[in-house]
Amino acid sequence: MSNLLLCQGNFCTFLCPHGDDLCLNSLKDLFNRATNLSQDIYNLSSKMFKEFDKRYAQGKGYITMALNSCHTSSLPTPEDKEQAQQTHHEVLMSLILGLLRSWNDPLYHLVTEVRGMKGVPDAILSRAIEIEEENKRLLEGMEMIFGQVIPGAKETEPYPVWSGLPSLQTKDEEARHSAFYNLLHCLRRDSSKIDTYLKLLNCRIIYNNNC
Amino acid sequence: MKENAASRVLFILLLFLYASLLNGQSPPEKPKLIKCRSPGKETFTCWWEPGADGGLPTNYTLTYHKEGETLIHECPDYKTGGPNSCYFSKKYTSIWKMYVITVSAINQMGISSSDPLYVDVTYIVEPEPPMNLTLELKHPEDRKPYLWIKWSPPTLTDVKSGWFSIQYEIRLKPEKATDWETHFAPKLTQLKIFNLYPGQKYLVQIRCKPDHGYWSEWSPESSIQIPNDFPVKDTSMWIFVGVLSAVICLIMVWAVALKGYSMVTCILPPVPGPKIKGFDIHLLEKGKSEELLRALESQDFLPTSDCEDLLMEFIEVDDSEDQHLMPHPSKEHMEQGVKPMHLDPDTDSGRGSCDSPSLLSEKCDEPQAYPSKFHIPEGPEKLENPETNLTCLQAPQSTNGEGKIPYFLANGPKSSTWPFPQPPSLYSPRYSYHNIADVCELALGMAGTTATLLDQTDQHAFTPSKTIETGGEGKAAKQRESEAYNSEPDQDMAWPLLQDKTPLFSAKPLEYVEIHKVSQDGVLALFPKQNEKVDAPETSKEYSKVSRMTDSNILVLIPDLQAQNLTLLEEPAKKAPPALP
Repeated sequence: MSNLLLCQGNFCTFLCPHGDDLCLNSLKDLFNRATNLSQDIYNLSSKMFKEFDKRYAQGKGYITMALNSCHTSSLPTPEDKEQAQQTHHEVLMSLILGLLRSWNDPLYHLVTEVRGMKGVPDAILSRAIEIEEENKRLLEGMEMIFGQVIPGAKETEPYPVWSGLPSLQTKDEEARHSAFYNLLHCLRRDSSKIDTYLKLLNCRIIYNNNC
Repeated sequence: MKENAASRVLFILLLFLYASLLNGQSPPEKPKLIKCRSPGKETFTCWWEPGADGGLPTNYTLTYHKEGETLIHECPDYKTGGPNSCYFSKKYTSIWKMYVITVSAINQMGISSSDPLYVDVTYIVEPEPPMNLTLELKHPEDRKPYLWIKWSPPTLTDVKSGWFSIQYEIRLKPEKATDWETHFAPKLTQLKIFNLYPGQKYLVQIRCKPDHGYWSEWSPESSIQIPNDFPVKDTSMWIFVGVLSAVICLIMVWAVALKGYSMVTCILPPVPGPKIKGFDIHLLEKGKSEELLRALESQDFLPTSDCEDLLMEFIEVDDSEDQHLMPHPSKEHMEQGVKPMHLDPDTDSGRGSCDSPSLLSEKCDEPQAYPSKFHIPEGPEKLENPETNLTCLQAPQSTNGEGKIPYFLANGPKSSTWPFPQPPSLYSPRYSYHNIADVCELALGMAGTTATLLDQTDQHAFTPSKTIETGGEGKAAKQRESEAYNSEPDQDMAWPLLQDKTPLFSAKPLEYVEIHKVSQDGVLALFPKQNEKVDAPETSKEYSKVSRMTDSNILVLIPDLQAQNLTLLEEPAKKAPPALP
């Protein structure tokens, strides 16, 4: 099997420099699993958002408050195909890692607070629990991929910190529901970002832009 | 004054309104944004529904602003998407950003604006149907024929770079049928369909869905005619298989009919019943035990050479102080030629055989069946656990300076090492048995007990299921659960007690009343038994030869080398037979 050459403009690097099948297969497998996980996380968060919207947010206009409310908006993520294709894979991977890490804490609190909500449908709670679990697994997998694709690179970039816990715990029910709506809306968006970036990287690295 | 002015304005306004109403003109009704869709996550289009135009020419304008921006833009393209639409090209499209879109209708009379629509392009993706649907009938040799369906991804979707991921769904049906047969194709752009009906015209459609988004519309129908001679399956092979299996069935039926029974016995041989040479079950049924035993007597049905290995080879009786016990080879005794008798006619006949595994175990298990059991349990419950009475000691190889001298230890209460509770005058256990350990192990093993002869745990005699060990001696006794052991120690002495350090000298009379084993040569191996009813040593004789068996199930023993008095020993079950001089 030939070496895996990763080119970005005029700058090329060799992945799996020794050209062994094991390295390539393991990378392929890692990406495969990662994209499956990210797709699943997106599906869950999308369903969770829709369920919450149907139950708690009808006619409330929470969406207006949700604009610009995501704690990860400070990350410089590409916002269309051209931008994404011009982003170096190393940057893209760091962004994915930053997103995953910044969601660890909010997901944990989401589960705790959703549990405490009166009459919360099981569809929401069970999905929240599953997303939290899968987020951790995806983070682990991403770190492995990162280590293989860019060996030796430091990947301890700071990530955005979430500070929305007080609004999740407020006594005012409307305000609390609005805060949940924001969180779920941002979760759906960020999981879509992670999923798309991963699939881009997968086709770029493993299949050489020929998916 | 002011009131006049106000009322005047009002009047004019009403007049104006009246005039316009008369003309049928009014400000336009609020338009309504229907939906926005993106075919490939790179562009999108929004459509609205105009309201009533109020009788006047009305213009519609679409304005929007993006999340995080304050600047308001107008729609860049009203044409491409058709009437009442706005098309956002790549330049104007951002993903993962909320668009707040409003449509306004303006006419001479006024302006009406729609409710804002919040749109994120990520979630409004709906692709076109797949393209280039081709159908082809293939019939390769040696394989099943199939319909090969191929297609390509819809326009405007960039699948190669991974920006867009698609799944496909195909459905087909014969033209006249009502239900569609649906197939799912996750990634590839081709599908093979088997099992089609010949002579039918099939209709095929396909649609697709992005990983986040809506299903596309169904593609236009493609049709294909399956020719009449199209082979559905590879039937020739099945015909052959069917004929072959029919032939085989016929053969089997014929064979069974002819030789049914012998075949059955060949396949399922009958289980052989227990049989002993010379033993007639019918005699048993009739209850004629004497004849039965005579029949047994005439047979040499007892042990084979194995037994010699198993059993202790000798029995010694210490008659007086002069005598000393020494191990004899068992052959001398074995060659007495006495026919052993089995003393339990009312149980099944298999017990006498040394080869039968039941022999030793039963002797071990059911001591009560023998005249002189080694244990006199207090209550009947003890008898239910025959295994509990069996204790086998085996000296560890290393500690016994006299070599392997296995011996049996009765379960006395304080008898972990020194099982000699009864007055020593009764008898002295000075028996050395070779291979008793093997015998005992075999007995225990065959009895299915879980006795572990060589457990090395310090244990008091009474503890159930534990082994007794005397540290220095290394005796191991496996005890069964039995409270009987807690009872009088002197009753527990069934086996001879042998201690490592006691000299093999004693002047105690001995009595053998329990049949342990019958060797091939007719030598009866007996266990000594303590007879608590015996006050004084009646005799000090050595009885090691069976003379005959009396009518009342009494075993007649004769001494071996000396011409001594015959002793009759009665052996009723569960009783200690007295020794009669």
